Amino acid sequence: MSLDVEDLLRRGMERFAEQVPVPTGLARRAARGRRRRRATRTVVACGIAAVTAAAVALVVLPGAAARPGGGARLTAYVTRRVENALASEDLVFVGRSGNQVSGDDVSWAYGAQNRFEEFTSNSCGQELANLSCTGRGGSQLGLAQGTAIVGGKLVNAYVTYSNRRYSLSPLGPQSASTCPAGDLGMAAPIFPTTHWRAFIDATLACGAAGVTGHVLVNGVETTQITGKAITVRLQPGYAKTVHAKWATARWTLYVNPTTYLPVRIYGSTETSGGSAGSYTSSYVTNVQWLPPTRANIAQTLVTIPPGFHRFYGPPGDQA
Amino acid sequence: MLVQDQRVENLEQFLAQRGQALLRTAALLTGSVEAGEDLLQSAIERLLRQRGRVDGDPEGYLRRTLCNLAADEFRRRGRWRRKLLLLQTPARAPADAIAAVDLRDAMVRLLGQLPPQQRTVLVLRYWEQLNGAETAELLGCSEDAVKSAASRGLRRLRKLADSMQHDQMQANGMTARAMEERS
Repeated sequence: MSLDVEDLLRRGMERFAEQVPVPTGLARRAARGRRRRRATRTVVACGIAAVTAAAVALVVLPGAAARPGGGARLTAYVTRRVENALASEDLVFVGRSGNQVSGDDVSWAYGAQNRFEEFTSNSCGQELANLSCTGRGGSQLGLAQGTAIVGGKLVNAYVTYSNRRYSLSPLGPQSASTCPAGDLGMAAPIFPTTHWRAFIDATLACGAAGVTGHVLVNGVETTQITGKAITVRLQPGYAKTVHAKWATARWTLYVNPTTYLPVRIYGSTETSGGSAGSYTSSYVTNVQWLPPTRANIAQTLVTIPPGFHRFYGPPGDQA
Repeated sequence: MLVQDQRVENLEQFLAQRGQALLRTAALLTGSVEAGEDLLQSAIERLLRQRGRVDGDPEGYLRRTLCNLAADEFRRRGRWRRKLLLLQTPARAPADAIAAVDLRDAMVRLLGQLPPQQRTVLVLRYWEQLNGAETAELLGCSEDAVKSAASRGLRRLRKLADSMQHDQMQANGMTARAMEERS
């Protein structure tokens, strides 16, 4: 029987490392140990302490990781671990987002399959065909977008609940862009509604990010990776509509320092440079990674509700 | 003294963020959490001693010191430590369905039986995920030396794991035969 020693070793190390607790008071113990050792020596004691203190204060100021040099190295290290985690983990992505204007969004993704659902806000209730709201019944499903299996083939599906329509289209190739800007020209959020893994991977690979600290997310410590702001000129038609010239997207990824899988993604898109002044919309997506059970994988597909009619026109005209 | 306290406080804050990752590396280099803590503490003491000589992020310095100290410690204890580890490694893993998990655990124990350079290179390559050039830079040796140490280390691990698996299969066979005889 041949053994994949590298894989066994890697997994063995991970298993072993899981048992390693968070160390506390190490620096104090080290300082005490050092003081004890120093006391046994008869010379040098006094002057050194102040000089050492000043030097190490420079070395370990909080946030040192974000500085260039060491920070770049840390970023490369964390980035590689995140990329590896995304590539090697066989898990189902679930992202739940909300923004200050509309209702919540839910994204499911597994391999090439994905489903994005947009809900109306609580005050809107059900959305009607003319895009007005009933104002009753709380938040309702308004849009489902992603992949569906039709006739045994995986295809793109787009379902609008306000007019009970759906459209299908063949699966296109995934964007190979190294530094994705999404539909920023239309001031859309930089984040995709689908292909999350590919997006995170491509964004990190283009090097436009840095480790900027460690913060608690839902009580769990995470490593914060902040992307450089991306600014693009708005498409002319859209620029005219919103009276702005530019769209700037910013994003921050919070990854679990043990698994290196993202647990939260924050993004904002700001339009500016026109008579409308600047306007910022922000999005927070909380991420879960679930085991690839049959039920979870089924969630990554769009289902066409019975009684909905197929729409054959251009996607933009559907709703 | 106040400055000294502030410095330790800053270091404590840094370790609150990165201490666990460093301790994991240290534990893998030494083979146990307790020895890993001692190793990390020694590395921190060295950092405190370095004063102005360490510039920027202390993590790289601490990682490099961990590797050097682990190799020193291994050399100091020499053969005795190796024998101790052989004694600690169970001759046979339990013959049941969690054998694969046991084999993974055994890998980490077997790692401790490798010479310091091979073990350090494997930890840096497969745990820290450093590439050949980065590992060579950290250890202050050539990339060829890293490749050779990694390949020899893996070969040796494979050999140890194969013999362990062989023992385990034999144990399984014996257990099955014993059960048949009993029934």
